[in-house]
Amino acid sequence: MEYQFHWNIVFQKMPQLLHGAFVTLHLSVFAMLIGIVIAVLLAIAKMSSSRIYSIPATIWVEIARNTPALFQIYMAYFGLGAFGIHLSPYVAVLSALIFVNAGYLTETFRGGFQSIPKTQYSASKSLGMNGIQIYRYIILPQMFRRIYHPMTNQFVWSILMSSLGILVGMNELSGETQRLQSLSFRTLEFFIVAAIMYFIITKFVLLCASLASKRLFKGDI
Amino acid sequence: MGMSFFTPLSWNDSGFILTGVLNTVYISVVAVLIGTILGLAMGFLRAEANRFTNTLLGGVLDILRSVPLIIQLILFSTYIGAMGHPLNPFVAGSIILSLYTMAFMSEVFRGGFESVPQSMIIAGRSLGMSYWQTVVYIRLPIGMRAVFPSWLGVALSVIKDSALVSVIGYMELLRTSEQLISRTQQPLKILIGVGIFYFIISYPLSLYGKYVERKMAI
Amino acid sequence: MKLTKKISLVVASLVAVTAFSTAQADQLDSVIKKGVLNCGVVLDFPPMGYFDKENKAAGFDVDYCNDLGAALGVKVEVMNLTWGDRIPSLVSGKTDVVIGSTSDTLERAKSVGFSYPYFVFKFQVISKKDSGISSFDDLKNVKVGAALGTTYETEYLAYAEKKGWGKSNYTSFKSENDAYLGLYQGKVDAVISTNTNIATKLQTNEFKDFVAGPFVPNYDDVVGIITKRSEVAWMNYINLFLVHQIRDGKMNERYNHHFGSDAPADLIQALRDNK
Repeated sequence: MEYQFHWNIVFQKMPQLLHGAFVTLHLSVFAMLIGIVIAVLLAIAKMSSSRIYSIPATIWVEIARNTPALFQIYMAYFGLGAFGIHLSPYVAVLSALIFVNAGYLTETFRGGFQSIPKTQYSASKSLGMNGIQIYRYIILPQMFRRIYHPMTNQFVWSILMSSLGILVGMNELSGETQRLQSLSFRTLEFFIVAAIMYFIITKFVLLCASLASKRLFKGDI
Repeated sequence: MGMSFFTPLSWNDSGFILTGVLNTVYISVVAVLIGTILGLAMGFLRAEANRFTNTLLGGVLDILRSVPLIIQLILFSTYIGAMGHPLNPFVAGSIILSLYTMAFMSEVFRGGFESVPQSMIIAGRSLGMSYWQTVVYIRLPIGMRAVFPSWLGVALSVIKDSALVSVIGYMELLRTSEQLISRTQQPLKILIGVGIFYFIISYPLSLYGKYVERKMAI
Repeated sequence: MKLTKKISLVVASLVAVTAFSTAQADQLDSVIKKGVLNCGVVLDFPPMGYFDKENKAAGFDVDYCNDLGAALGVKVEVMNLTWGDRIPSLVSGKTDVVIGSTSDTLERAKSVGFSYPYFVFKFQVISKKDSGISSFDDLKNVKVGAALGTTYETEYLAYAEKKGWGKSNYTSFKSENDAYLGLYQGKVDAVISTNTNIATKLQTNEFKDFVAGPFVPNYDDVVGIITKRSEVAWMNYINLFLVHQIRDGKMNERYNHHFGSDAPADLIQALRDNK
């Protein structure tokens, strides 16, 4: 093979790569946390009997699920820019990821909620529980257990998709890698290291999720 | 000088956009097709193989699922060229997109194979069927029917992810429109058009998936 | 059927990739033998490279590709690249040569082969007419943008760091086009680009309210043609080609066509002196 690897420049630039990895991590954590909050609201709106709530929620969910994330990021950056709304690359990617996360998680939450048999409500009521108690002790714990795994998958998805920051010149791991490779022209080296870093980040997140689930659900999931 | 760098959209561009649309459809169909076949084989292997093989296969598939597609595309197309076998963007993109699809499909199909109750297979064997006959006549049809909605889900996400092949220079819909945006400085109209295209392809299919899922649940 | 053909192409390549030996022909031979020159150009960098209204590649660099192809007696395939694509495209063999206004830094020369210089740019600021930017130091208080991974991004960031401005006012864009789109939309107040690109943008209706501002202090951007670093014989040919472009008057002809005047004597002299 004629390509000669130069690894020393990658080690020199390691602080920048690690900073990029850190940006990737907090970007996807925020996208997940805010996405969850919005998804809860959207799920409630979607199950509402009033169309004023359910139709906008449905539109959000369907657009988020049926268009590419790449499109949504362009839209958040240059699409909104046409209206004079200027998000920074970070905020643009964050909003696009929140938009998609919320769309997918809404369906996850709704599915989890509807999977609880209605008979449990009447059973709990007949035991003398009030509405809050029914949710706190009966419905939510079961629901959380069922949506835990899809939620973890969604989190991994947001880590991977945050790499699209490269397309709006962001300084997360992929964007930083692109900058470093174009200044030094060591494409393979920098992207191999980036790939390993993504792998470690996703494995780390999955490990945390499974450790947490062992505590939360006493092992059975 | 007599030339202009910014020119508005015109009917001349419709053929150009259509090429982008067709290229998106091509690469999606190719990736879903090859990815399904490979995923089926891989899913079957994983449902049948011993622990060691399973860990090995699982590890490889795990890498494909844990590294962003955009990085896989750049790495593969650069690496294969550095080895002295440059590939055009369509071929390089199809290979990575197919493998990526395979990684997700294999989990879907593995679940399908494992969902077929052991008692059915034993019943088949006791009727005199060979091992492969139970695979072809019992496990494939029953297992695959169960996973159709998940299969469709993966296929839809591959159609959307095919937009990423633009980064290695494949002129699919999004790259085509990006070029038009550069020329016209009018991102909004063009982007909305792109969004509508994906929606029109993806939404009816996702409705159909939900319909099948509901029907199966009853 | 076209689709089945494409599928079989993918399958065949999969087989080929695993089966082929790694025998390499000299690139000059292989270009002549295959009869095609795959020439990479950055097509969002007018007037060096851009798309005309037929969505066809045009520009100074594109003309140089065609001149090189004519000299070799082969067909020319112009490939559209972003700044970041240039090296991957060479390494991956998608392009035989990149005529893409590549700054000849010593860091990059560790990775690719550079020809003699074929053009010299100045880095300049473009901003809205009323933005009041008259010296480079006026950038301190405005939002500045540039294309990611370019030499002028590096120059700006180094200058900003020296002056203690911080990075919070700075935005990177994926490509030159995106940077201008960002300026046009008002995402940033000023963009750093090359004098040539700015001059052509200012002639358009979209940028009639914009003005060319100060230059990046003490910096000439000398650019070369790039190839794989190992292809020394190929590079020799390209160097001779560049000498002939000047000697035969082609350089001046192309310059005149794209910039509307004869090439300045000091530019020609600098190129003759390989500076």
